[in-house]
Amino acid sequence: MLLNYIKIAWKVLLRHPFYTFITLFGISLTLTVLMVLTSFLDHLFGTHYPEVNRDRSLYVATIIQTDSARTSMSSGPATFDFLTKHVKSLKSADKVAIMSNFNFSNTYVNGKRIKLNTKYTDAEFWEVMGFRFLEGKPYNDNNIKNSDHVAVITDALRDQYFDTGGKSVVGQNIEIENINYRVIGVVKGSPPTRIYSYSDIYFPYTAPKSNYQNKGLRGSFIAIATAKDASDMPVIQSEFDSNISRIPYSEIHTDKNLTVLQVKADKYFDHFVNTFARSSTQRFMFYTVVSFVVLMFMGLPAINLVNVNVSRILERASEIGVRKAFGAPSAALLWQFIIENIFITFIGGAFALALSYLIIYFINSSGWIAYADLTINVPVFVISLAVCLFFGLLSGVLPAFRMSRLKIVDALKV
Amino acid sequence: MLQHLFKLIWNKKGTHSLLIIEILASFLVLFGVLSLIVFNVRNYLQPIGFNYEQVWNVDLAKNQDTVEVARKLTSVMQRIRSYKEVETATRMSSNTPFSANQVSGAMTYNKVTVGADFYYTDPDFNKTLDLPLLKGRWYREGDRVAKFIPIVINKKLEDKLFLNETSLNKVIKIDDKSSYKVVGVIDKFKAKGEFMSDNPGVFEMLAKDDVWNSNVLIKTKRGTDANFEAKLVKDIAMMLPGWGIEVSYLKESRLNRHNLTLVPVLIFLIISAFLLTNVALGLFGILNLNISRRKNEIGLRRAMGATEGKVAIQFLGEIWVIATFSLIIGLLFAVQFPLMNVFDLDSEIYITSIFVSIAVIYIIVTLCAWLPSKQASRIHPAIALHEE
Repeated sequence: MLLNYIKIAWKVLLRHPFYTFITLFGISLTLTVLMVLTSFLDHLFGTHYPEVNRDRSLYVATIIQTDSARTSMSSGPATFDFLTKHVKSLKSADKVAIMSNFNFSNTYVNGKRIKLNTKYTDAEFWEVMGFRFLEGKPYNDNNIKNSDHVAVITDALRDQYFDTGGKSVVGQNIEIENINYRVIGVVKGSPPTRIYSYSDIYFPYTAPKSNYQNKGLRGSFIAIATAKDASDMPVIQSEFDSNISRIPYSEIHTDKNLTVLQVKADKYFDHFVNTFARSSTQRFMFYTVVSFVVLMFMGLPAINLVNVNVSRILERASEIGVRKAFGAPSAALLWQFIIENIFITFIGGAFALALSYLIIYFINSSGWIAYADLTINVPVFVISLAVCLFFGLLSGVLPAFRMSRLKIVDALKV
Repeated sequence: MLQHLFKLIWNKKGTHSLLIIEILASFLVLFGVLSLIVFNVRNYLQPIGFNYEQVWNVDLAKNQDTVEVARKLTSVMQRIRSYKEVETATRMSSNTPFSANQVSGAMTYNKVTVGADFYYTDPDFNKTLDLPLLKGRWYREGDRVAKFIPIVINKKLEDKLFLNETSLNKVIKIDDKSSYKVVGVIDKFKAKGEFMSDNPGVFEMLAKDDVWNSNVLIKTKRGTDANFEAKLVKDIAMMLPGWGIEVSYLKESRLNRHNLTLVPVLIFLIISAFLLTNVALGLFGILNLNISRRKNEIGLRRAMGATEGKVAIQFLGEIWVIATFSLIIGLLFAVQFPLMNVFDLDSEIYITSIFVSIAVIYIIVTLCAWLPSKQASRIHPAIALHEE
């Protein structure tokens, strides 16, 4: 039966190549855009190299100081001191890493200038992140205690700075702003879209110019706390909240006006949304705008498909009339049309899969995002399939419903 | 004729409702994207106001250093100016051209308050960036002893704050102790690049003992390369141990800023182009089918003496009427934007994009209906009536 429906659908597709093209064009391009978008979002928010523990990590990245009326506000990363006191001390957390936001610097070699992103981290950073070491090893607590001038660099920087001809660069020096750092490790780099792990060169936080000695609340450091298991995360969050609520009055009220301190340990996505939508109304606005755009984007091709289907299906009125005259119930006809539409949608989906594969391959190899690793992975593919089905039903049900209720006489007359 | 067409459409409003929704949605998408484009194009057409070609930005971070910062900065400035590769150099606040930083504040004169961007600079600032003055002069070292804080403003701020008066030598009170005095007016300073709108701006002279604003803009002579840059960084690092030093070229920063504006616009453009192609193809298909289904009606009209042109016009007219219906509904939404001043944009931007989107919708609709109606009009009455 099913096979029969599909055969009919195939014949119908071939009968009018132009309409088939319109339908497939709409379906496959919409799905392509959706698939590329999901894979990009997965790249941004999913758990990937080197942030392999992101699904069980909590980020303390922004401190907000406001006055009681919330009219003026000052916000940004925290000081190393603050994070050591209130995040490092979390008992329920498995590991806590502290790192600086990235800074910029330049280094010069043979009259050429290399732009650098720099990052200061503690030793636990290397345990929280899953960097792959191509050479050498990370710095440890000893290096930090001795304020060693050591650094871990990425493979890209190694290739730009050193002219080794394949020999190991561990132990060699790299000069940045008149200070020599000894390279002790080379890692495979992180894409710049993962801002907390991205850098070209990593220093221990006791290296010069890190400003870890600053006191007070606001500085340039952020902390990531991991849980042993994802289910422990609420425990850590509540411990952190109670830690914060116990901060003595004198420590918060350093600024005359800004007397309210807001700081949260958030999961990565929440933390991302919170950076530009802080209050619940703003978050509501954000989600409304996003869903409106998505609705518009998926709605237009869907309406278009419904339109095309509605007018096309009249063509097949006589076929329906004959089937009805021979006793096919409405439900059977309805199913036939739904299956037919899902079939077309899946053909479009296959095209879309091929197209997105191409686009993603192009993005990955173009160097548009360094170290980009966009993939069509299982969740992305399942989401796309669900979207396929949704589209098939949306554009199939309405016309099929109309058609299946057509009276035999009318159907045969047309 | 028109009334007749309206009646024809109105009688079939059920079948046309989806078509109307589709055109309405395309109009709204088009309106949104065009507003974005018109906004950026309008900004782009206004000159940036200064010259950034040979200028470098040296960002100095004093880190843990607290000893004699002001004196150190002064001697670094002297050193920088002494190189033969350096034409002029100036200190500036962190909101250097094309940076992501912004310093804003408000200024009140005669009960008019205007929000403006504040730039803290040196007397050499206008020379470094080739910033021409419309009237008055740039502030000088000698102004430091004056009773008032000398400022230079841009034309936009002058227009907004002083309305029809002239601004030169006017004194603006800040608080009981200090006030500004306008010594000069410049035309434009679009610090965030060509795509920034021409915002009100104020330039204030840096205090002698200022330790917070430690960016240095350097205008280099032509042909200066990275070798000088390496030497410069080395020398400064020697004078300021423990400080962070970062050099960037304004030319490169400008491209980065541009990409920040252009990439989203480009993505929106691609997506809406795809949506509109989709809609156009769909429209074409639907019209084609509809018209072929009305063959006998056309045959009858032709038999009664209607010319080819008249038949074609009827079908075009029908789709125009449908488009007009949708556009009227769409306009109800779209006019809210200029009326309520959404996003604080010039209403001219919204109005331009409304008109352009209306035009584009009519063009698309006409193109899609053209071929089917041409075909319809060529139907021979005898054949059409015979089929019936």
